[in-house]
Amino acid sequence: IAEDTLDLLQHVKFQSSNFENILTWDSGLESAPDTVYSVEYKTYGEREWLAKEGCQQITRKSCNLTVETGNVTELYYARVTATSAGGRSATKMTDRFSSLQHTTIKPPDVTCIPKVRSIQMIIHPTSTPIRTGDGRRLTLEDIFQDLFYRLELHVNQTYQMYLAGPKKEYEFMGLTPDTEFLGTITISVPTWSKESAPYVCRVKTLPDRTWTY
Amino acid sequence: GQEFQFGSCRVEGVVLQELWAAFRAVKDVVQAQDNITGVRLLRKEVLQNVSDAESCYLIQALLKFYLDTVFKNYHGKAAEFRILKSFSTLANNFIAITSRLRPSQENEMFSISESARRRFLLFQREFKQLDVEAALTKAFGEVDILLTWMEKFYQ
Repeated sequence: IAEDTLDLLQHVKFQSSNFENILTWDSGLESAPDTVYSVEYKTYGEREWLAKEGCQQITRKSCNLTVETGNVTELYYARVTATSAGGRSATKMTDRFSSLQHTTIKPPDVTCIPKVRSIQMIIHPTSTPIRTGDGRRLTLEDIFQDLFYRLELHVNQTYQMYLAGPKKEYEFMGLTPDTEFLGTITISVPTWSKESAPYVCRVKTLPDRTWTY
Repeated sequence: GQEFQFGSCRVEGVVLQELWAAFRAVKDVVQAQDNITGVRLLRKEVLQNVSDAESCYLIQALLKFYLDTVFKNYHGKAAEFRILKSFSTLANNFIAITSRLRPSQENEMFSISESARRRFLLFQREFKQLDVEAALTKAFGEVDILLTWMEKFYQ
């Protein structure tokens, strides 16, 4: 008998980061360790629920639905059925899920290259699990047209330098040799009001070995 | 600043992020009321592969419907769910957009406007097949689908 009981299952939701979509849930207040869970999902607008292979009768409390929810123009639902050893069960559904709206952005991958009087920062494209029709993996830059980077260099307590833009390579110039700097780089997507946590690099400019006569 | 360019129809002075912020504030409350998960009003056939020229006719028809039917009749529910602030922000911005749309009325645009009308009728027919209250809730809950489509024309 299916009962919607809070004590078996709660907080069924998607956690999405860079379009990696993981369904998670919590056991209920009185769930026994031998409670098993089964996951189904569907596209919003379709009638049929589909069982997620690999997430049937499992005891863990998460299930990777990245592939199944991989079309960014679609919206999805997922639901979990918890069944206790005694045969009681409960089913709970997620809110309507859109990876475009819900995914959070991870910090970018950056190479910080110190030179004598400058620091170069090279931002590497962030690939996602989303693929085009011909199988090519899309990057965040492909998906979000207005994505740009915000770079900050902390020179000292009171002085920072800023650079920003959509391109991948930047250089902070006019720095003091043989000095440590803290760089932070974030990804920003204005239209979707998304901003990543910063990537942080601590680098020291090279000593100036040129002799002045 | 940014503006909407629905083909030759240009609309300035509307900030898409504000519409998103307004809807995001109410999305879960509204969509949780819609338990007909097997029906989607703004289906792919309505919004996919819309040409620039067609987009002005389609957005005008959709926003007019949202204002004249959805917002007009969902106001009571919005008050009940205490989401009037977001509701008004969306409605006022839809009014602002429709008031600035000037789709061409020239004869050679007839086939394009007809194509847009057929798309709109798909949406309207799906809406009419549902019980009124369910249809209003579903349509308002699909504003994110509409905004996602509108974003393609936001330059």
